[in-house]
Amino acid sequence: MWTYEKRLQFPVRISKTCPKTASLVISQFGGPDGELAASMRYLSQRYTMPCKEIGGLLTDIGTEELAHLEMICAIIYQLTKDLTPEQAKADGFDAYYIDHTSALWPAAAAGVPFNACELQSKGDAITDLTEDLAAEQKARTTYDNLLRVIDDPDVLAPLQFLRQREVVHFQRFGEALEKIKNSLDAKNFYYYNPEFDKQFVKA
Amino acid sequence: MSDRNTWMKEIAETGFFLDDLKLYLDTHPLDQDALNTFAEYAKKRRTLLKEYAEHFEPLTCDCICPENNGSAAQKHWTWCGGPIPWDREASDWAAAAAPNFVKGGQ
Repeated sequence: MWTYEKRLQFPVRISKTCPKTASLVISQFGGPDGELAASMRYLSQRYTMPCKEIGGLLTDIGTEELAHLEMICAIIYQLTKDLTPEQAKADGFDAYYIDHTSALWPAAAAGVPFNACELQSKGDAITDLTEDLAAEQKARTTYDNLLRVIDDPDVLAPLQFLRQREVVHFQRFGEALEKIKNSLDAKNFYYYNPEFDKQFVKA
Repeated sequence: MSDRNTWMKEIAETGFFLDDLKLYLDTHPLDQDALNTFAEYAKKRRTLLKEYAEHFEPLTCDCICPENNGSAAQKHWTWCGGPIPWDREASDWAAAAAPNFVKGGQ
């Protein structure tokens, strides 16, 4: 169950139309390390997570990622809402414009549609949490790359906020991985799958 | 607090503080100081949301209070009122509070 709160987590206030920037930022909507993949990854993994506190963490981070997806979409929306066909053509946004006008559609910066193959839900707590740690770092690198090539301070402010949240989530997933390890056999963390071989799980 | 923007800034700051503290408590559920701080700010957030709904419009379904909306000429459905979050105007509260962004300095 979810309820909606009618505001963004961090303000998005962009005054200058720029389809070029929109076509780059869109990767954090539907790209390989974007917010949609992040949210679906955590919200899919949580069901079989053996430790309920970590199931809770995945729920809370997966929910925050939905709020980040909303911010990314607000950035793209504001960058393109006053778009003219001429600007779309000049800025390389015309291919997207033909199929989606200025609506939001999840795709990567290079135009590849969102694909669930970009995320994994493996059913092994160590594997999944390691995937989550890597996912946060991949998203952080993508934000770093965006921060390098974009100049508009109105766009940079929310992107920098989102980058910082990747670092915090990485920290929390690291703590979750340590917690899982503490409930396993310290001589061999891989002796069994804590999500599947339930008879071995201590806590 | 008199205007919408001052209120929204308070709600956004308190809300984010709780978002961040919530994740910390997910992995440190026995930290008494953090629990006390969470309780204090959660109470503040509830009050802010209630007051905002009374003066302007509800931000969550739980805040819908058609009978309290003083600006309305008659009782009406308030859920769809106010700025839509993804419009630039909805973030106007941040105009004076924009951080000094230093490119490359993360």
